Amino acid sequence: MALLPLPDPSPTAALVRSSVLISQGAEAKVYRTTLHTGGGPVLLKYRFSKQYRHATLDATLTRARVAGEARALVRCLRCGVSVPGLRFVDVANGALGIEWVDGKSVRSLLGSGDEGERYREEDEDIAPAEDEDLFVGYKVPKDALMVMVGTEIAKMHLADIIHGDLTTSNMMLRHPSSTMNPLGVHQLVLIDFGLAYTSTLAEDKAVDLYVLERAFASTHPESEPLFSSVLDAYKRKMGKEWPAIGRKLEDVRLRGRKRSMVG
Amino acid sequence: MESFAYPHFSSIAHVALFDRVTNAGEIRARIVRASSLEGDEGDAEREAVSFAFIDARLVTSVLHIQTAITQALLAAAQNTLRTKTVHSEVIWALNPSNNITEALRRYGVTDDSTALFVIRIESLASIDVRSRMSAVVEGTLVPMSALAGLTDWVAVKKYNKLGGDPYIKEIQNDPAHEHHLIDNIVVSFVAMKSVSG
Repeated sequence: MALLPLPDPSPTAALVRSSVLISQGAEAKVYRTTLHTGGGPVLLKYRFSKQYRHATLDATLTRARVAGEARALVRCLRCGVSVPGLRFVDVANGALGIEWVDGKSVRSLLGSGDEGERYREEDEDIAPAEDEDLFVGYKVPKDALMVMVGTEIAKMHLADIIHGDLTTSNMMLRHPSSTMNPLGVHQLVLIDFGLAYTSTLAEDKAVDLYVLERAFASTHPESEPLFSSVLDAYKRKMGKEWPAIGRKLEDVRLRGRKRSMVG
Repeated sequence: MESFAYPHFSSIAHVALFDRVTNAGEIRARIVRASSLEGDEGDAEREAVSFAFIDARLVTSVLHIQTAITQALLAAAQNTLRTKTVHSEVIWALNPSNNITEALRRYGVTDDSTALFVIRIESLASIDVRSRMSAVVEGTLVPMSALAGLTDWVAVKKYNKLGGDPYIKEIQNDPAHEHHLIDNIVVSFVAMKSVSG
């Protein structure tokens, strides 16, 4: 077997160069790529090196975050939470290849006013609905979509996984005709587990919900009825776990996300 | 046989699925013998069996194989191979544990294997891989889609320790859903092996 000559010291760097940039954040750049000829699209999340951090610290943090995100996704998969699977991990270079989700973010489906979208959408031929109750090409009423959001978050919390950054941009509705959707129905997929961790505490689950409530309030007009349908579906799915989380949510609403007043 | 190019690794993977294989025990014995032969004869024999032979019963999809190839190529490029060759690394990548002997015993060719994935990883220059494969394996070359009838889902669940998962038990009466989910989980296991545990 012969593997030489390598054109580039880092194959992952070469992969990144051949990929299409979709979105850039402070932590990572997100690309659409293919891992080999004939392969389907894969989302490549590349945590580029941060010049403002000491190199050793940067490598340690990047490694921990890539590993953490990968573990959270697999934990979700095993518990039946709808998340994309992993396709490629290069922890040394901070690269994570994730199953491509063919669909639109909940944020773009709800129509988010005039703010720029955080994720550029594929499927340009399917226009997002502005103020209709049925989304063009998706045909899911807003209320049904909110029920899906609440149910999926409840499944995640029942598995003791805290997302850490719940926003409507971090949820996608997978198109029923997508080839990676064998069930043939609309599927709500949670994405971006970069800040996820595990916890059994009602407090942490309540903070997760509070972050989403604030995200709704700041991005969507008339968010209150939307978020209350999310919460209703969440309560139904959580069953006897809900009262403790509900009490904590009241506390968190009064004092904000941070429990400790230190620092 | 299908070939997949990995341009960023300057490599190409030739993947063939053989069914009704009659000489699995012989192939295994040949690989073992080739490893200890010396001189030119040894080199020639090692070259003749320089493939990854994988028992198809434990493979859930072509993506499963492709993911193991990607991670093996990455380890080779970064000089972090845990086994001696990129071919054995593909087999190692498929097994959830770090035990090399266990990986070869479970995922490699065994005396009772009847369906085999045969993989050859090459630099981009092409050789006649198909005839070299046929020179080693006595069996019928079948399309990748034939894998659907070959996967042993009970064994896949056992070796990946998924049998006890409450959610997988919950959906066991819906095989299409169950198989799709298990495939996604085991593919993810292969991809994240370097950071698991």
